[in-house]
Amino acid sequence: MNMLTTNPPAARLTAAETALVEAFSAQIGELPGNGAVIGTRDRLLDDLKKSGLPTRRIEAWHYTDLKNLLRAIPEAQATAATEAVAPLVDGATVLSVLQGVADSRAAVDGVDIASLKDRLVDGTAAAGLTALDKDDAIGRINGSFVRDGYVLNFPAQAEIAAPIELQARHAGGQIHTRFPVSFGEGSKATVIERHQAVTEDAALVSSISDIVLEEGAEITWIILQQQGLADTHLGQIRVKLGKDAKLRLFVINAGGKLVRQELRIEVVGEGAELTLRGVNLLGGESHTDVTLVLGHNVPHTNSTETFRNVVFDRASGVFQGMIRVAPDAQKTDAKMACNTLLLSDEADFAAKPELEIFADDVICGHGATVTDISKTHLFYLMARGVPENKARAMLVNAFVAEIVEELEEEKLVEALEDIVSAWLEKHA
Amino acid sequence: MPAVQETVDQVRRIDIDQYKYGFETVIEVDKAPKGLSEDIIRFISAKKQEPEWMLEWRLDAYRRWLTMEEPTWARVEYPKIDFNDLYYYAAPKGTSGPTSIEDVDPELLRVYEKLGIPLREQEILAGVKTSRVAVDAVFDSVSVVTTFKKELQKAGVIFMSISEAIREHPDLIKQYLGSVVSTTDNYYATLNAAVFTDGSFVFVPKGVRCPMELSTYFRINEKNTGQFERTLIIAEEGAYVSYLEGCTAPQRDENQLHAAVVELVALDDAEIKYSTVQNWYPGDAQGKGGIYNFVTKRGDCRGHRSKISWTQVETGSAITWKYPSCILRGDESRGEFYSIAVSNGHQQIDSGTKMIHLGKNTSSRIISKGISAGKSNNTYRGQVSIHRRAENARNFTNCDSLLIGDRCGAHTVPYIDVKNASAQIEHEATTSKISEDQKFYAMQRGIPEEEAIALIVNGFVKDVIQELPMEFAVEAQKLIGISLEGSVG
Repeated sequence: MNMLTTNPPAARLTAAETALVEAFSAQIGELPGNGAVIGTRDRLLDDLKKSGLPTRRIEAWHYTDLKNLLRAIPEAQATAATEAVAPLVDGATVLSVLQGVADSRAAVDGVDIASLKDRLVDGTAAAGLTALDKDDAIGRINGSFVRDGYVLNFPAQAEIAAPIELQARHAGGQIHTRFPVSFGEGSKATVIERHQAVTEDAALVSSISDIVLEEGAEITWIILQQQGLADTHLGQIRVKLGKDAKLRLFVINAGGKLVRQELRIEVVGEGAELTLRGVNLLGGESHTDVTLVLGHNVPHTNSTETFRNVVFDRASGVFQGMIRVAPDAQKTDAKMACNTLLLSDEADFAAKPELEIFADDVICGHGATVTDISKTHLFYLMARGVPENKARAMLVNAFVAEIVEELEEEKLVEALEDIVSAWLEKHA
Repeated sequence: MPAVQETVDQVRRIDIDQYKYGFETVIEVDKAPKGLSEDIIRFISAKKQEPEWMLEWRLDAYRRWLTMEEPTWARVEYPKIDFNDLYYYAAPKGTSGPTSIEDVDPELLRVYEKLGIPLREQEILAGVKTSRVAVDAVFDSVSVVTTFKKELQKAGVIFMSISEAIREHPDLIKQYLGSVVSTTDNYYATLNAAVFTDGSFVFVPKGVRCPMELSTYFRINEKNTGQFERTLIIAEEGAYVSYLEGCTAPQRDENQLHAAVVELVALDDAEIKYSTVQNWYPGDAQGKGGIYNFVTKRGDCRGHRSKISWTQVETGSAITWKYPSCILRGDESRGEFYSIAVSNGHQQIDSGTKMIHLGKNTSSRIISKGISAGKSNNTYRGQVSIHRRAENARNFTNCDSLLIGDRCGAHTVPYIDVKNASAQIEHEATTSKISEDQKFYAMQRGIPEEEAIALIVNGFVKDVIQELPMEFAVEAQKLIGISLEGSVG
């Protein structure tokens, strides 16, 4: 053999990798957790050190070379002043996480709420600190550094009318939060996960929501990401969908400099249904990557996924969407669409919608488009006396609004439409 | 439904492994010693009576190859290939190069007759003018004969084996060889550059429409031999050529390696149509044996308004790793890719295309139909890339997969990279099985199940079959039927 198969020598760490390792040694003494948690943290950081941050050579990170893109880690700032704001919709219960610390004492009737910190200290949250696979850099970073968040338990048949808003606000620094949530049998609720920067100071944010829907649960979960222009946001939502459970998951990205939002969804109960909608508003010099891995693991499950992306300025956007149908997951019906409006010659967009199918009796499809605003649509409006810039704005707005409107709850739709319009006004 | 019935009947006549080209021919051969080294490359180069610069070119590639690593990103699994356990040169005795048909070993002629490849220039057959195809027949490492050479010469078209072209047209070779797929392109292309033994060379001069279809027929016969052929097609300004490629190999228990490189160059207003029917031995029902097919095919639309069209029907090989691509460099150039990939048994296919849009107003179209049956895995992997300055680029991609049986897999991995806002990109993909309704409809009219499936499958792939030249379309349709035999019920 003339091919040598020796392992490559341990790669040198980048500045950001070194900073992470150093931050860990500096913080480990104060990171909450019992022996089991500390052990897990050590192991995850060790794995991170060994593999380094992912590069484009790793297929799952092909378009987001984190090693290259993440240049520096901002200093941790424990005391930056932030405070909770009014919820997105009136009447919602706010559970705030300020500068990475769950400070809210709010209670919701019928829901068991605890701070993650307490669960780390008593060790019950240890088992959840995992990396999903060898390429799960977010799982490793978050598992190593996570300080706080909320653990929510919705008992069986709980019906919570008012939305619950998990409000994570920061003023720069290192923020690592986590929200393990279980929805009991037949429970119904709406949860808004909102990430917001208060200042322009750079932050490294990692946040993992780990949610389980038991049989027949009907849940709406909204992720609204509004980080600052200098922030890195590494978000992940892990979902397990049980029998006949219905999840409506809306993901809106409207901020951040370097964003990776992973959606890792496993459909594990027959009759489950997923409605996934995404809106990505990209501008400035940002890089935003939405990566979906959706496993249909059992027969008779449905899913639809629609993503709408609007790309301005010098922004670059990425959508990776993999639908995996396991052997024997017959009668799966999965449809995915990713539509992009590329509105600047300096912007770019990469889409990789994947299908991986091991069962034959399925209907699966995906579609992807990338175009500019349709000239005929523009002409139609301009022929009616609408000036070009206004016509463009209307069309872009409509392109996105179509998705938001699917939420149906009037107050929510209005609140999100306002956010979308404000964003578009600023960037168009 | 005579055509369909014919397919079914034909299938029945074939033995369990369904591969009708699996025979082996005992023929005296001239072989290089086993293994790969600079000496072997010198041996090949000497055998081919190549000039010094060609040997240097090969050695450069070989040295580069030694530093490279085998790619692992494709969805294919196979035991590590021992590149030193192969013969890199095997030629039937007495055929140091293409000769006239009279000099060819009658045993070889019988092989091609058996394969149904016409090597005799039959112009008028029983008063009927048959469609004529010029053939370059490559047996293991050498081209045994090229037909219709004289007639093509009259039109100014050069069609010969690449070894001959290196000797006779060194200027063209120097100018174009490796200009589309460089010697450093990828692991297998670099290996090919080092050890390629034969292949076809086509040159169609300015303004000439090639008067007949050109084709090359590749046959691997020898045991433990790798086949490394290299094809180079150049269409000058305003030229047109349609080229067909066919492949078969004997049925063997061990795996054989085939790593080819195909380069196409289309200048202003030129058009190249490249069709492949790939039917290498796919291995037996247990997944034993079969060809490893690692191929780099790329077309360069160098000129304005040039067009390159790839059409492929992939039914054979244990492993297929192949991505015929188009670089759309010229303004208003166009690339097309039409593919049918059928996998059965334990076959693994990872195939697709790349459309690289560089020029203005370029367009591309991708139609891919994957059919998986048995325990096979069939992956479409494609890239559409619109570069920053590629104004008004247009792409349409459609990849459909059909699953027959619940033990197989169908996968779609498209990469869409857009860096220009004026681009218009559409991609769609579906995966499903043959609908019970369609099957019921056909069977209810008295069509047996197997035939009904063949009928539906033929409908599924029609878009691509239509793109094939007549001679190939019929063969391709039969092949698909045969490949899927045994996948029903």
